[in-house]
Amino acid sequence: MNVLEIKQLTKKFGEFIAVDNLSLSIKEGEIFGFLGANGAGKSTTINMIASLLRITKGEIQILGKSISQNAKFAKSNIGIVPQEIAIYEDMTAYENVHFFAGMFGLRGSELKARTIEALEFVGLGDKHSSYPKNFSGGMKRRLNIACAIAHRPKLLIMDEPTVGIDPHSRNYILGSVKKLNQMGCTIIYTSHYMEEVEEICTRIAIIDHGKIIAEGTKKELKAIVTNQKNIWIEVRSAEQLDIGKLQKVAGVNKVEIEDRILKFSSDAEVNNLNRIIQLLMADHIEIRSVEEREPNLEMVFLTLTGRSLRD
Amino acid sequence: MNVWRIALKEIKAIRDIKTIVFLIVTPILTILILGSVLTNTFNGSKTVGDIRVLYKIKSSESELAKSWDAFADQAGKNGMVLEPANENTDGKLEVANNRYVGYVEISDSGLNYYGNSSSPVESGIAQGMITAFANRYKLAAAAGNSDQAVLLSGNRSPDFVRETSLDTARQPRALDYYAIAMVTLIIMYSALPAAELISSERKRNTTVRLLASPITKAEIFAGKVVGNLLLNVICTIIVVLICKYMFNVYWGEHLGLVFLVLITEIVFALSIGLGFSYTIKGKAAGSVIMMIIQVGAFLGGSYFPVTEMTGVMGTIAQFSPLEWSNTAILQIIYGDGWYAAVKAMLLNLGLSVFLLSAAAIIMRRREGL
Repeated sequence: MNVLEIKQLTKKFGEFIAVDNLSLSIKEGEIFGFLGANGAGKSTTINMIASLLRITKGEIQILGKSISQNAKFAKSNIGIVPQEIAIYEDMTAYENVHFFAGMFGLRGSELKARTIEALEFVGLGDKHSSYPKNFSGGMKRRLNIACAIAHRPKLLIMDEPTVGIDPHSRNYILGSVKKLNQMGCTIIYTSHYMEEVEEICTRIAIIDHGKIIAEGTKKELKAIVTNQKNIWIEVRSAEQLDIGKLQKVAGVNKVEIEDRILKFSSDAEVNNLNRIIQLLMADHIEIRSVEEREPNLEMVFLTLTGRSLRD
Repeated sequence: MNVWRIALKEIKAIRDIKTIVFLIVTPILTILILGSVLTNTFNGSKTVGDIRVLYKIKSSESELAKSWDAFADQAGKNGMVLEPANENTDGKLEVANNRYVGYVEISDSGLNYYGNSSSPVESGIAQGMITAFANRYKLAAAAGNSDQAVLLSGNRSPDFVRETSLDTARQPRALDYYAIAMVTLIIMYSALPAAELISSERKRNTTVRLLASPITKAEIFAGKVVGNLLLNVICTIIVVLICKYMFNVYWGEHLGLVFLVLITEIVFALSIGLGFSYTIKGKAAGSVIMMIIQVGAFLGGSYFPVTEMTGVMGTIAQFSPLEWSNTAILQIIYGDGWYAAVKAMLLNLGLSVFLLSAAAIIMRRREGL
């Protein structure tokens, strides 16, 4: 069953088209990674799913019902973890979760129980009476999540939930995402950290200029770049290196130097490693290691959009 | 229910020390400071003891002497003792020696009064009463004998003499006045935080959560307004009661009506804040509101009583929300009249409906709050 179905979605701001005829479906139980550079249309799409922005054209369905006609139903089944921390600093952790969960119709003992459950889930069980102004960035992020999950949404939208936090909190959040998913929550996850997306997402869509340019599992996306291979050669010193010569080697598409590591992007079918090593030795450049790297999402993104995710 | 939840969250702001300082401590301190420093400005009363005036009749007119005797009897009942002087007494010397506040010589040519400069208030009162007698006598004489008889008996004829009471009902002391003026002023200042009611949610990013939850924009808007209204009402009641029971500020016999005027003013202040925050783009709303409050406070008598402003200033003053609220409350407390109160409440509520409607319409059209 599709938890989310987007059909030919378009959003215009004046003449600017932020989302362009986008279609997408997310099945129940998925952790769906949504990748895109700044301004690609990712947040606009998410905001329309969460009913924060009006739809210019197209349709969004949550659990089979159009959000335009069933806004209350759709909102009741969605939880949102905004990129910016959205909590009241002058209310305790308990009061924050209690307040937002109350907006979803929870009342009385059920509301109290869900509030406590959500705080404990994010590891803030012992911070009920503490004010967020005294929290670390990671704790605030976790409270940000607790406020979104207390009403047990069917679909949880997490927009960059790990920005600017310590590794401990980051691991905790990633663990929580997996756990929530195991509990039956479908998740849309956006992040600038490719390794996070690779680690937890079951399916990924790449959005650029308001359109989805690729969609599939990690394996399917990486297959897009199987005609490419990446060779990393670590050298002792790159001072006498003549990059021009290396770029002329047959099959080589791109050469970059990063901290004494030569990064070659080359056609997979051309066997050119011997020739590259010969040229390096001719220039008396000492080689320390040679590695052929598997394609990753960063490479996929770069290949498809021509830019890095953090550009 | 969601409206009440949001309202309750707003009321919790009372736990914030800044809110308490702004809404409770500041007005009380200002009332105490202004009420103490400006006490003399408002003190229009002076205790006057017995007024003793010496007189000597040298006139041969029996009518005048008769009238004077009647006047002396009447004056005695009003606290002014008129004592006849002996033939050998030098009245002026008696006055100079501070034994009397004045001396009257009644002769055929008229009345001569000699006042004591060291008792100007008492002497002034005596002079005023004696002058009134002289005028009445002249009027009575001109009107004819029958009317004269009425006059001399001490009764007042509305056809010839009209008297206006200068007194002397209860007047506000400085503390009483500034309690009203500062409470209404601080209420008006609540328009400033009201202008931030919605934008503060935007700054905290909590609009995202509120709008993503299954409640309507109207519920969010209503919850914020109701919450802030209740918060301000609670703080206003606290300030009024502290003034009443700790500092003996006089709030009159109709405290309920006073609160009603204050509540409508709170509604109006919130409406100004919200209305301007939606109709004026950027951060200019706060500056415009501040300007309105400052001008309104000056014209509305927040810093000093402006009772007899006339001309253009008088016309402009009528547009000050503080003028109409202050006048209404003063009239409820000291004038026993409710006309100004009804006018103030209608103006406050009418303008609030207009401003809130404008804000609601703009918000409805907007994406987000």
